[in-house]
Amino acid sequence: MKLSETASQGHSLFTATGITKSFGLNSVLKGIDISVGEREVLALIGGNGAGKSTLMKIIMGIYQPDEGRIFVAGERIHACKPGVSLSKGIYMVPQEPMLFPNMTVEENIIMGFHEKPAKLRKRLKEIMNEINWDLDIFRKAMSLSIAEQQLVEILRGLMRQARVLILDEPTSALTFDEVESLFKIVGDLKKKGIGIIYITHRLTEVFQIATHVAIMRDGVITLKGKISEFTRDMLVKGLLPQDCEETKKQETNEIDYIGLKPAFELIHFSGYGFWDINLKIYPGEILGVAGLVGAGRTEMALTVFGRDKTISGQALLEGMDVTGLSTRAILKAGINYVPEDRRLNGLFTISDVAANITSSLVTGKTMGRIFINKKVEYEIARRYVEGFRIRITGLDQLSGSLSGGNQQKIVIGRSLATGPKLVILDEPTRGIDAAARKDVYGIIHKLKKQGVAVMLISSDMEEIVELSDRAVVVYRGRIRGELKKREITQAGLMAASFGVGEGKQVEI
Amino acid sequence: MKISFSPKLKQVWKKWEFVLTLIILLEIIIFALKNSKFLMPRVLFGSMNDIISICIISLFVTFVMITGGIDIQAGSIVGLSSIILGVAWQDFGFNIWAASCLAMAAAGVCGGISGFFIAYCGVQPMVVTLGGSFLYTGIGLLVSKLSATESYKGIGGFPEGFLRLSKYRLFGIIPFQVIIFLILAVLAYILLHKTRYGREVFLVGVNQNAAEYSGINTRLIIMSTYVLSAVSASVAGIILTSYLGTAKSDIGATLTLPIITAVVLGGTLSTGGKGSVPGTALAAVAIGTLRFGLPLCFKVSQQYLDIPVGILLLVIIIGRALLNRPGLRVKTVIRGRIPHK
Amino acid sequence: MRKILKTREINSFLFLAGLIFLVGLINPSFWQPVTIINCFNDSVVFTFLSAGIAFVILTGEIDVSIGAVLGLSAAVGATLLRDGYGIAAALFAAIFVGAVVGMINGIGVAVLNIPSLIFTLGVNGVVRGIIYVYTKGAWVENLPADFTLMSNRLLTKNVTYFYGAAVLVVIIGHIILTRTRKGKYFVAVGDNSAGATLVGIPADKIKILSYVLCGIFSSVAGMIYASRIGFITPTAGNGYEMKAIAACVLGGLSLTGGVGSLAGASIGAVIMSSISRILVFLGFSSDYDNTITGFLLLTIVVINTSAQNHTVRKNRHEILLVRTAQKGGEKA
Repeated sequence: MKLSETASQGHSLFTATGITKSFGLNSVLKGIDISVGEREVLALIGGNGAGKSTLMKIIMGIYQPDEGRIFVAGERIHACKPGVSLSKGIYMVPQEPMLFPNMTVEENIIMGFHEKPAKLRKRLKEIMNEINWDLDIFRKAMSLSIAEQQLVEILRGLMRQARVLILDEPTSALTFDEVESLFKIVGDLKKKGIGIIYITHRLTEVFQIATHVAIMRDGVITLKGKISEFTRDMLVKGLLPQDCEETKKQETNEIDYIGLKPAFELIHFSGYGFWDINLKIYPGEILGVAGLVGAGRTEMALTVFGRDKTISGQALLEGMDVTGLSTRAILKAGINYVPEDRRLNGLFTISDVAANITSSLVTGKTMGRIFINKKVEYEIARRYVEGFRIRITGLDQLSGSLSGGNQQKIVIGRSLATGPKLVILDEPTRGIDAAARKDVYGIIHKLKKQGVAVMLISSDMEEIVELSDRAVVVYRGRIRGELKKREITQAGLMAASFGVGEGKQVEI
Repeated sequence: MKISFSPKLKQVWKKWEFVLTLIILLEIIIFALKNSKFLMPRVLFGSMNDIISICIISLFVTFVMITGGIDIQAGSIVGLSSIILGVAWQDFGFNIWAASCLAMAAAGVCGGISGFFIAYCGVQPMVVTLGGSFLYTGIGLLVSKLSATESYKGIGGFPEGFLRLSKYRLFGIIPFQVIIFLILAVLAYILLHKTRYGREVFLVGVNQNAAEYSGINTRLIIMSTYVLSAVSASVAGIILTSYLGTAKSDIGATLTLPIITAVVLGGTLSTGGKGSVPGTALAAVAIGTLRFGLPLCFKVSQQYLDIPVGILLLVIIIGRALLNRPGLRVKTVIRGRIPHK
Repeated sequence: MRKILKTREINSFLFLAGLIFLVGLINPSFWQPVTIINCFNDSVVFTFLSAGIAFVILTGEIDVSIGAVLGLSAAVGATLLRDGYGIAAALFAAIFVGAVVGMINGIGVAVLNIPSLIFTLGVNGVVRGIIYVYTKGAWVENLPADFTLMSNRLLTKNVTYFYGAAVLVVIIGHIILTRTRKGKYFVAVGDNSAGATLVGIPADKIKILSYVLCGIFSSVAGMIYASRIGFITPTAGNGYEMKAIAACVLGGLSLTGGVGSLAGASIGAVIMSSISRILVFLGFSSDYDNTITGFLLLTIVVINTSAQNHTVRKNRHEILLVRTAQKGGEKA
């Protein structure tokens, strides 16, 4: 595969034109044109639902486009299956690691290659030395952490000696050092002449390693060009829908903490993935919990929620001890949790909207002791559909067919339906479009007004800055800093998230 | 002349239960045309006897399959219940109705054991109920050894009151078993579609994690479906024993496949989350009608009946698969394209 | 070396060895070499069946039609033999039947994406019916003597030719599945089907191939069955699929796919088919067969799964504790 061969398509190593794709009535891609040249890093930005993963799957041959053409080094390819894309030199490192759990790391990496295993092992060793990543290649993949699994996926990509490498959100589970290593590798690959499509929503990364940028929203490319032509604000603007006014930071009154008793408190709370957590949340307050993926925030929330064992410490809800209670008891006591992964843990995709919203009420008496009171069920569901502006064709619509934003609103509605005193939101705006995000922020503010205590777990620094009254930062399972309203800035949060001290130590 | 259907009517068309009803009507029409004796109530209802077991059990196996599981031990529990009934009555002097209750309780325990392994130990339903089918068949045989009567003979001589269970006919024509089936069908319908419990069963089947997060005790729910299924098998076993007049440990041996067929045909997704009692009931009736009509009207002998039932099942599921994936082009599949989900 | 000792196959083998040892303790006449070797000899039909279905189970699917395929291919082969065609022709016809049914199963599951349990269930019904149509409900008897005597021919030291062939086939298959590049695709597809697709493995084709192989193995099992029994009834093979699946589970295969091997399946087959004989030696009447089988299956599977779940949970907790530096280890 000679990298120097360029083609009649100009200087592009890789080009996709006019890609269109619909799933049923859902039009996901509406005519995409992108291209990457040799020694270029194209940062592809866009929220989930914009269609990025669909586009990548088309390029990799997992899906077929309804229309459009793909060229590699000027040669048109018909990516009807992954084998074709792979043989033409395209490789995608997926966002969610897709390893073989029962095989070792080494077997995982070598699987699918056509060369002799001995040669492959040698090459693998060389690459691992080059990038200086220390991983026991004889471990079974199922024992790896998410970050380690992602490393293995990246290794696969490097082994492929691809001409075009697609990295789909590669840093989402990496530590600071690992991210630096990755950037160095990207730089090396660039020098070798490889073209890289780098999917991310972290704008700082974009300016660090990209040569070009393209913004994707709602199935079209809204902006593209050399990175030097853009500023951060221009990119942010490009991400928002046309008719969306700038969301001003809601001017809310500062909470008067004097004399207020905490609605929820954790005292030396320790469990699997977090240690010695001390925090308080007051009624009507939003406590932002910042940190990197894998810092232990979700583990803490899940342990409070009753999904994992508590090792030591206490959790108090309005003074009442709720440590170690089962999920059912926790719900009854007045805590609810909006899961991080709504498809996996939050949504009943083949059930209708009404059933979804009322699903946490089924075990209670609200909808009836023995028989389901449909009237009550629909009433409750309707209340949330209208209040949250959820766009549905009817209460009996299957929730799986809704957009990400509407699905998220349903999951939030379900958690609020039990009338909790504490709501834990885990990445509530992940993968939803800007308009839905605005709506969700509105819901959160309404909760504040009602006096509900809110724990907001988010990896989106801007979100924490915008919404929180106070914030804590979690690093490697411990609280690294507590910030009062005026102190909450992106810089401060970012630093603390990576363990670099800027915030004060927590006071009990 | 244009007839415009209201949108609600269009919805009815699309419903699977409607298709099933059409199939049943079609069968009845074809069979009746071929052999007018088919329509005689005595004959028509007489056929139900044979497939009442399948109908009853499939009602509750629906619950199991909605949670994403499967139950292949129901057949062996039918036999186990029968023999427990017989031995308890004949060799241990139980009152016949007390013996029936004992049989049902024993079945409940069997279902509970399997359900426990599936729900609380996390073992796959296929394997557990597979082991269960061996185990309960074997225990049935051992129980029959407790009896004075030799196992191949079967225990007989039941009191008239017990036998009347299957002999009694409402209005002189409708056999009591059919009444029992209808009552159970109504009960199952209410339980699954109208109660909290039924809603929990559905939610567990659609997404067990999300159900846990909603505070539902998913493991108890899953275990309970196996108990229900087992008890329904024992009810079928008791009725069958009454009908045959003999208690034997192997009377349910061949029921497993037709039961699963009825449940799947009735619209239940084997992956869970979707299913309906009316659908299963109609499917069981459709299968039963087929199995009755073919020998009577087309002189198909008993052993060949598996073919049309199997073909029906295949046609339905293939048809469903194709409908759900418009634009599936076989050529590109052979060339190696992967159809997206 | 320790790795080999830890494999599931060794566990199953040790279990078998332990079983034989225990039985001999209770009834020393079991410890005759002839008796023990006959345990293996008599498992030949199930060895082929279990090895065949192992291909399918490794890819994460299931096939409940193998009993019917055994019956049909045995009926077809036996009929040809009875009517004077040679053994080669009969074998070819039988294998053809198995391959065709396998192909149908493969297309239904891999192409049409119908859940394998349901589809093979439907196929099972149809094939069972076809057996009746083909044999017109009668037994297939009067098979040529040189065919039926084949089952008795000894290779060496009381091991029959048939079982010797089975061992050879299993060894070859095992090596192909575990050592060759394309052979490893089976386990990969079962371990993570989407992941396999992503690295270029044609998951659909592998699944179809697994069903075709399963069909062929079942039909070979059918011919061997015909030779051993000497006649075919229309209900031949009824219920065998369940025993074959049980054998695979006993042999260390996971029904979710990606774990296990042909060697394990064949060991499980020996265990399953030896149970009745073992029970006789232990003084139990054959009445206890099903009970013991069911009990055994349940116990092994429950212990296995519980242990697995426990380890997974423990690992997860370990990793999380490392992350918060509660246990040794620097990296997150």
